[in-house]
Amino acid sequence: MISLRDVVVRYPGAARPALDGVNLEVAAGETVALVGPSGSGKTTLLRTINGLVPISAGSVLVDGIAVGELRGRALRGLRTRLAMIAQHHDLVDRLSVHQNVMAGALGRWSTAHALRYLVFPLESELDEARAALERVSIPEKLWAPTRELSGGERQRVAIARALVQQPEAILADEPVASLDPRLGTQIIGLLCRLTRESGIALICSLHQVQFAQDYFDRVVLVERGSLCEVESKQPVT
Amino acid sequence: MNALLEGAVRAVPLLVPVAQTFGMACAGMLVALVAGIPLAVAVATRAPGYRFIATALGALRAIPDLTLAILAVVVIGLGPAAGIAALAVFYTAMIGKVFGELLLAAPSAPVDALKATGAGRVSIAAFGLIPLTSRDLLSFGAYAFDCAVRASVIVGAVGAGGLGTELVGAINALDYRRAALLILILVVMVAVVDAFGSLIRRYPRATLALIPIGLLTLWVDRPQFFAFGHALTTFAKMLPPQLNGAELSALPLLLLQTAAIAVFGTALGASIGFFTALIAARTIVPFAVVAVTRRLLDTARAIPEVVWGLILVVSVGIGPIAGILALGFHSAGVLGKLYAESFENVVKEPVASIAATGASTVSTIAYAIVPLAFGPLAIHTLFRLEWNVRAAAVVGMIGAGGIGQALFNAQQLFFYKTMVAYVLITWAIVLAFDILTERLRGRELMT
Repeated sequence: MISLRDVVVRYPGAARPALDGVNLEVAAGETVALVGPSGSGKTTLLRTINGLVPISAGSVLVDGIAVGELRGRALRGLRTRLAMIAQHHDLVDRLSVHQNVMAGALGRWSTAHALRYLVFPLESELDEARAALERVSIPEKLWAPTRELSGGERQRVAIARALVQQPEAILADEPVASLDPRLGTQIIGLLCRLTRESGIALICSLHQVQFAQDYFDRVVLVERGSLCEVESKQPVT
Repeated sequence: MNALLEGAVRAVPLLVPVAQTFGMACAGMLVALVAGIPLAVAVATRAPGYRFIATALGALRAIPDLTLAILAVVVIGLGPAAGIAALAVFYTAMIGKVFGELLLAAPSAPVDALKATGAGRVSIAAFGLIPLTSRDLLSFGAYAFDCAVRASVIVGAVGAGGLGTELVGAINALDYRRAALLILILVVMVAVVDAFGSLIRRYPRATLALIPIGLLTLWVDRPQFFAFGHALTTFAKMLPPQLNGAELSALPLLLLQTAAIAVFGTALGASIGFFTALIAARTIVPFAVVAVTRRLLDTARAIPEVVWGLILVVSVGIGPIAGILALGFHSAGVLGKLYAESFENVVKEPVASIAATGASTVSTIAYAIVPLAFGPLAIHTLFRLEWNVRAAAVVGMIGAGGIGQALFNAQQLFFYKTMVAYVLITWAIVLAFDILTERLRGRELMT
């Protein structure tokens, strides 16, 4: 489904490329963990797949479509198929939880629909938000102000938003880095279970090698912008 | 080409009022810094009587600059000396209050370390408070100077000389080409001062240029015929403040008009500013669009409310509508710039996350950029409302109605007791709005 071929990403003024000839194939429904030290290129890799970072050489293909050649509406169309979950700070505190969750639908909504939802959400739309929150076990937070959520709850809301997006793949950038190990285990377990249930591919960067080995189909080691090692694992879950 | 030459020839005689206006701003600011900084240090170091100083500065700041200019013209006489006196008092209060708050916000650990050495207040300020907050002090100082240049035009409008007096003369004589030229000169002046402000932030020593220019202006524009006895007699004529029955019964409507000019003017400015800011933020639209929109905002901002008022009174007629539009257009320039900067400064991650869902630009703005910038937007708007209550009194003086017009009429008719009554009422409503908006800002900062 996702295919990276000899991808090079070079930031202006950087001494060495952030990604240096990366090759990676991810099949539909597959879970892949990217592990490696800080600054190794994990985040750049995820952002490159989503078209947020320009490619200096090589190609990124999503179902055969070259991401680097897409612009404007076409690029937005592709992004609706690839949900992103960040480490933290990626929810909008001033919005309520249901508004943050339904932001996942913005790619398939018209602008007028999106603006209307902020003021007059329909019951059917709230049901969709509630269903997504039920899947991450916090349906009671539907109307809660986002700023009052705990770290774990915030990540659950981010996952619910990704599910509402109805993506074919989720790109998660260190989603448990700011959580304690027990909560981190819960969130990673939940993310892997939900993506497997829905047949969604998951590419997730992690610091914790143990999580990667325990929960993911494959573990890829990223070091100095290169994928040094690729190993397949049988998931424990 | 001929028109250009003609314009240049017409501009030459204006060098004197331009120099007067710039000189008034420099001199007023120099006095304000010399007087305001020690007061700010006294407040920040909790010197004896600091509570009284802080309250007095807050109260003094609530008197609009044009009101001060009227009082100064009455006491000192027509000419730049009155303008300098008004600016000096207004900006001393502003520098004293805001610098005091900035110094108080300095990190406490290094200041405590200095206190532990047994250092005195001046040493603590010189070695701790001022260096620790120098960036903010310079930034606000540059902004205050920018405002002082516009204010020197405003005070000129009541006979304090400079561009303001020329502008009022041109508009009253229905010479709109001259008025347009004067406004153009003013826009260029404000742009130059803006550039000087950036220079000060990079090279703080450029502030020293204020000293020779300010001193020279103070000497050249010193009151020629100032008589202390006459000033005292004039003051005595102002007391006690007095309003007759008819004036008292008209007062509620005047207050309502002034409040309406301030509130609707702010609302208009906020609305125009909001939508313009969206196409003035570098993170939302391409640089070429930003460059054009920012220049438009700079122009709207460079023209003071009172000048907008003079133009609008001519085109839409006397009354509060002219006042609302005048405040709205100037506020749009100010708020548009501040809103655009707030949009640019939002945390990037949530915006990237919303954009990554495939959301359109408008949806990303509505779901991420605006909610994330809401706090600063609300604070800027409340600050503007506070400012516009003063400005509403000011534009009232050039025919926009409200208490300002009543005040100006009283001065023109030499009804000094009535004038002082209106000054005190203006001061009271500005102070009330200051307290209200300060509380609202505090609530916004808490959330």
